[in-house]
Amino acid sequence: MASEDEEFTMLFQDFYPSLCRFLECLLGGRAPLAQDLAQESFLQLHRTAWGTMPVDEARFWLYRVARNMAINEFRKSHTRYRLFDRVVETMRPRARNPEQEYETQERKNLVLEMLQTLPEDQRTALLLREQEQLSYREIGQVLNVSESKVKVDIFRARASLRERWARISHVNPVNHVNPV
Amino acid sequence: MNCSFTEKISSLIDGELSATDAREVERHLLDCNDCRQVRADFLNLRSQITGFETSLAPAVQNRALKKILATPRRTPARGFAWSFGTSAVAFATLLLVAAIIGLLMYKSSNTHTNDQHLAVQTPTPVPTGSVQQKQSEPEASPAPNKGNEQTAPRRSPSPAPKKQPLVREPKPGEQFASIPSTPEPVRSADSQTMTALHFEKAETLLVSFRNVRLNEPGMTAEVAYERKRAQQLVLQNMMLRREAEVTGDVQISSLLENLEPILIDISNLPDKPDKDAVRVIRERVERKNIVPLLRVNSTALARALD
Repeated sequence: MASEDEEFTMLFQDFYPSLCRFLECLLGGRAPLAQDLAQESFLQLHRTAWGTMPVDEARFWLYRVARNMAINEFRKSHTRYRLFDRVVETMRPRARNPEQEYETQERKNLVLEMLQTLPEDQRTALLLREQEQLSYREIGQVLNVSESKVKVDIFRARASLRERWARISHVNPVNHVNPV
Repeated sequence: MNCSFTEKISSLIDGELSATDAREVERHLLDCNDCRQVRADFLNLRSQITGFETSLAPAVQNRALKKILATPRRTPARGFAWSFGTSAVAFATLLLVAAIIGLLMYKSSNTHTNDQHLAVQTPTPVPTGSVQQKQSEPEASPAPNKGNEQTAPRRSPSPAPKKQPLVREPKPGEQFASIPSTPEPVRSADSQTMTALHFEKAETLLVSFRNVRLNEPGMTAEVAYERKRAQQLVLQNMMLRREAEVTGDVQISSLLENLEPILIDISNLPDKPDKDAVRVIRERVERKNIVPLLRVNSTALARALD
């Protein structure tokens, strides 16, 4: 049991931050909620399914469960702005350099705002590809769709974001970020 | 983005093209300025998305891990403990006891004052035979009005003494509003039992399907039998999945969601199935690791119901 717990701890340390980031992008911010849902996903894994599947499969399982939770959350409070989240965001300690913090926050907001313009399935597929670096086949496993749909969704998401990005940069050149 | 290569550029930067296709796209990129710009923009977007940092304090992460590890494993994940908590169960039990006591007291008082109740009769038909027994003049009831037409077919025509406490004295103009006109919603325990049974059946089916002997002459008959069983399970799977989605039970709905396409695929196998088709489904079952998940969840549900 101890070794299983150690293995679980390793998985948690490796993927909890990624899962939080994935959920935060999926939910359009709301970091505290994203952390709660990520914790709930791991909790379910630990309580019921841990030890019954390989670690790689557990990772896919986590993303699948987390995504379903996020979808439930959309349904529950699609248009509601959570005051609690807002308070937590406001009270969060900031970095020492206010300018740098401001710039980082602006960039985060811009990315989140753009991601929110995508349909949910395209957004999820793109996030799993870009942030989690899953292959099309693996994304298909997580989302339970075919590889060809994943390919098309990712392309459409990129094309849509590219167009939007160009428009934002044109309207407000301050927001334009040069390629790294 | 009018060039026909733009979609391939997306696959190229993901490393999802075959070596031949990748070479072809790379060659095209040397000549096409637009496509080079598309690739640069896609890579720029990638850097923006991957550069997104979540604000996660290490203390929060450690606290979450401690909380998870402190939770006992393989306990009923979706029983009362998860959704309501122990105090809620205690409260529900208290309410139930209070309701039973109240019912008994009402029944006892109803027996003593039965004559008084019967003295107040309305011209509308009385729904149960328990009261009808004492009615001496059936002609006192005129033709039923619309309200009674709606409720009458729901009731059994035979006397139902057990329903007696539900029949209270109707107020003037009231048409037996105390009798529920809609069926009670399915209780969660029933739903859990159905889900557990469904998981067991699906597990048995998938194990049998896995064990079908592909090179034996009886393969067609074996597959036909499994196909029939799958057809029986598909509809129930859909219903249970929808219910789990409505109740927000992510774990169960996710498992049912994974199970559904497999059941549908087995159901749709032809009369003389190709060995490869059977093999493909088997591989999917193995890859999704669905049999152990069904076993774990049906056990958890069964424990929750014990």
